[in-house]
Amino acid sequence: MTVYPVLTVATFLPLVGAVFVLLFGCERRARWIALATAFMTLAASAPLYLNFNKASSALQFVETREWIPSWNISYGMGVDGISVLFIFLASILIVLCIGASWIAVRTREREFYAALLVAETAMIGLFAASNLFLFFIFWELIVVPLFLIIGGWGGERRVYASVKFLIFTLAGSVLMLVGMMVLYSLCGTLDFKALALARETLSSHHQAWLFAAFLGAFAVKVPMFPLHTWLPDAHTEAPTAGSVILAGILLKMGAYGFLRVSLPIFPQGVQFFLEPMLAISAVAIVYGAYVTLVQKDIKRLIAYSSVSHMGFVTLGIFTLDQRGVEGGILQMLNHGIVTSALFLCIGMIYERTHTREIKDYGGVGKLARIYATFLALFCLAAAGFPGLNSFVGEFLIVGSAFKVQTWLGAMAIWGVALGTVYLAWLYYRVVMGATHSGLEKLALELNAREVATLLPLAILAVSLGVYPEFVLSYLRVPVADILAGVVR
Amino acid sequence: MTIEWIHPGLILIIGAWVLSFLRGRIKRLAMIGLPTAAVVDCFLMTPGNYGVVIFLSQELVFGRVDSLSLIFSYVFSIMALLGMIYALHVKDDSQHVASMVYAGAALGVTFAGDFLSLYVFWELLAIASVLLVFLRREGSAVEAGFRYLLVHVFGGLLLLAGLVLHWSQTGSIVFGDMSAFSGSLSWSLILAAFLLNAAVPPLGAWLPDAYPEATVTGAVFMTAFTTKSAVYVLLRGFAGTELLVWLGAVMAVYGVVYAVLENDARRLLAYHIVSQVGYMVCGVGIGTALAINGATAHAFAHILYKALLFMGAGAVLQVTGLRKLSDMGGLHKTMPLTLGLYMIGGFAISAVPLFSGFVSKSMVVSAAGESHLTVIFLMLTLASAGTFLHTGLKLPYYMFFGKDSGLRAKEPPVNMLVAMGMAAAACVVIGVFPGLLYRFLPNPVDYVPYTLAHVMSTLGMLAFTALGFFLLLKHLDPERTISLDTDWFYRRGVTRFMTPILGPLARLEYFTVGELYELVIQRPVLGVASLVQRFDSGVVDAGLVGAGHLTRILSHRLKIVESGHAQHYGLIMAAGIVVLLAFLMFTL
Repeated sequence: MTVYPVLTVATFLPLVGAVFVLLFGCERRARWIALATAFMTLAASAPLYLNFNKASSALQFVETREWIPSWNISYGMGVDGISVLFIFLASILIVLCIGASWIAVRTREREFYAALLVAETAMIGLFAASNLFLFFIFWELIVVPLFLIIGGWGGERRVYASVKFLIFTLAGSVLMLVGMMVLYSLCGTLDFKALALARETLSSHHQAWLFAAFLGAFAVKVPMFPLHTWLPDAHTEAPTAGSVILAGILLKMGAYGFLRVSLPIFPQGVQFFLEPMLAISAVAIVYGAYVTLVQKDIKRLIAYSSVSHMGFVTLGIFTLDQRGVEGGILQMLNHGIVTSALFLCIGMIYERTHTREIKDYGGVGKLARIYATFLALFCLAAAGFPGLNSFVGEFLIVGSAFKVQTWLGAMAIWGVALGTVYLAWLYYRVVMGATHSGLEKLALELNAREVATLLPLAILAVSLGVYPEFVLSYLRVPVADILAGVVR
Repeated sequence: MTIEWIHPGLILIIGAWVLSFLRGRIKRLAMIGLPTAAVVDCFLMTPGNYGVVIFLSQELVFGRVDSLSLIFSYVFSIMALLGMIYALHVKDDSQHVASMVYAGAALGVTFAGDFLSLYVFWELLAIASVLLVFLRREGSAVEAGFRYLLVHVFGGLLLLAGLVLHWSQTGSIVFGDMSAFSGSLSWSLILAAFLLNAAVPPLGAWLPDAYPEATVTGAVFMTAFTTKSAVYVLLRGFAGTELLVWLGAVMAVYGVVYAVLENDARRLLAYHIVSQVGYMVCGVGIGTALAINGATAHAFAHILYKALLFMGAGAVLQVTGLRKLSDMGGLHKTMPLTLGLYMIGGFAISAVPLFSGFVSKSMVVSAAGESHLTVIFLMLTLASAGTFLHTGLKLPYYMFFGKDSGLRAKEPPVNMLVAMGMAAAACVVIGVFPGLLYRFLPNPVDYVPYTLAHVMSTLGMLAFTALGFFLLLKHLDPERTISLDTDWFYRRGVTRFMTPILGPLARLEYFTVGELYELVIQRPVLGVASLVQRFDSGVVDAGLVGAGHLTRILSHRLKIVESGHAQHYGLIMAAGIVVLLAFLMFTL
């Protein structure tokens, strides 16, 4: 084992960095401190990946301290194969966020980078928490920096978007808080493992209500239809870094909640709501794709595509099939990689053109070849092109959906079809065709920093497409463990 | 990948990537060297299963080498070589990259032993080929390319849906004979995907829509790979499916009928692809050993002569910039070589004895005869006559002879002529020595094409067709003097002559099928999309935002209570006490 508490260090190092940024980050120094902190966090979390035992179903790197003994609440951290992947994604994405904000953010830099680092603490902490109390704290904590990032550095309607984001998520969280208190009063503990053992004591009636309460919080974050409408506004108005965090991690928190809380602790609640959950997921896939198709704003388009893509994730999870759930988690990761990359791409060109309207683009391919290549790769990846990452996830999910019910699989395929259409159409309108007047004068081609920002995601997209086993091998044991308690 | 087997498709795909970094002479050397390496690679292979990879706990077979995949790989790699030679003078590197990837994808489809790797190359095929349309960089090309892309994406998804369904039902993704699953949903989806790529009507309108819009050299590649790889997968999975017999025969006639109405040289040839692929599809459907051999042999021969024809039409387009037959004429004086080489292709497609079409097409027709499919036999024979009429007579007549248009175009670049010469040589060699081709066919061959009766009947039919053409020509002549620079007049001139049946058909094709994409795909999809969008902002979002507003309005109302006047508070308290008392009185 390692000499230092890896999870605690990885979680709170960014917080320390945030303090440093606030104290010493005058002028242009803030971004350097932030970047150094992000890299240090990545380095500090390295033992998680190097020493991880994929065959074990127990939590690893466990840390426990007494915290509030009178309430039987402790400070507990630990990871399994699912959470370790998202800690990796979060710590990578923060580095890229800083890279993307390098030039774009020129006002109140200290506050911006401090908020970004606080967000990192919240993200890593959420995935590292081994009890519901800590989980809830980080769940709430992420809202604060994101609210500030959207409201402080966003587009024209940033205040509307950030307040909408805040109200939606807090309304969801309130339900979760209620659920948590009920759960505590019934079981007397908030530790995930202990709760999973105590689930036998919960009646099916309780389980259904508790599932519904937590669903309120998780469904807003995913977001599931029809609670998704905060997402396009928040995504569209947020600065690039904010969009990346939203798409990359925040949306995954809801789905992660299903896996960590709902499935292991309320299996009967899951059974009770299974059909509606599957139906909502399938509807979200098709509905989201249709709405995406007619968007005129590039960022809004990608935001709505998230609704559709996250529909795949929840569909996969609620197939309650080993392959489907693995595919769902893989798809969470894929969506985090690809959609973040698309937001980065859009941010990069927006910095030059200052327009998000698709009609203002055209012929970008002739002016910026490297950019067009990256965008093509990520559009293909998002459309589920074979050999790239999303294909594997969608393939597993659709296969399991067909097993559950044919119409679910058919809806999912229809979503894939529409997905290809809207992405091809987007690419067609932005990159191909006649060059839009006004674009020729701009230097649209990417610089080295931007290429370095996109390259890691491109490598991930290709390598996970070719060798998904790298991720799936982490998932096999924990997913089987979760599903053992949920009988279909 | 093991050392004992190198995927020829990979040579081309990786080669394409390398090619984009090369310049000048080295680049041209690589353009010839890489496909040559692929040809050699294919001819050195021995049957077996190679390139087996475990992916998602399924076995992916990238190299299923057997007699069927081998013969297709021969012709695909040879075609890649011919196409690259033909394109040697083109400066636009993107075209070369797209062409090489395209050919590599077709080889990938050929050697795929499972559905998943098949799907990967299937999609690559669509993406690479659409680039060849886009790269002509004209408005109409970009539009046609986008329609082409949408159709193929749709086809790819049919395949994906079919394979996922097949996988979740059987647990296997091995791609083999599908007849055991005949009639199931997955079977139908996969078949539909294959038929779409084979351009079977009504799923085939994409072909004449897109091919004439491709670049000159790109079109040559397109004639070879997409439809023929579809024929290959049909042979592999759906041999003996009766539906295909009829679809194929209808296709053979359909393509010929529409070619009658055509004025754009490459579009005319594109319709003939539909017709010729019809023979192959029909052969697949008949499914006897002879028919399978015939479909395979015809695919082989067809790729070579059709490429030759497209090369000829492309050469004329290249040097004159003209697409419409009615604008050309009299080119035989300045382009005799092109004319001669084109005519070899024309004779081959018309199945003139001693040319390749004769020894391959007749196998399919004979198979229909042997299986006592009289109607099919007649349809295929009829289509044969029509083919000679258009590709062998009409097109060369208007292009090279006919009324002198005054054009004095030079011969195309040498590399184009070399490629055409090689293709022409292949057509003649196969026609004269059919055994060379027959020995590679998947089933043992005891078929003899050159019997006296067969040769005589073919020659008779051809002679009759030619006679008909020149008799018709007298009537056509005055019609041609009508302003011919719009398609409409040309077609009306012909249709008035060719019986009224063709009139509605022409309108169907030009005003319905052409717009079909917009009607069936674009408008409904976008229509539903904007409806859903309105629902999303008008109902879902407005509902949630409305709930927020309601809360605010309610709090504004409640704010009145907080007036700051002590007497108001006293009044409210008193009212409260009254309400409470009333409540207690009524409930107790």
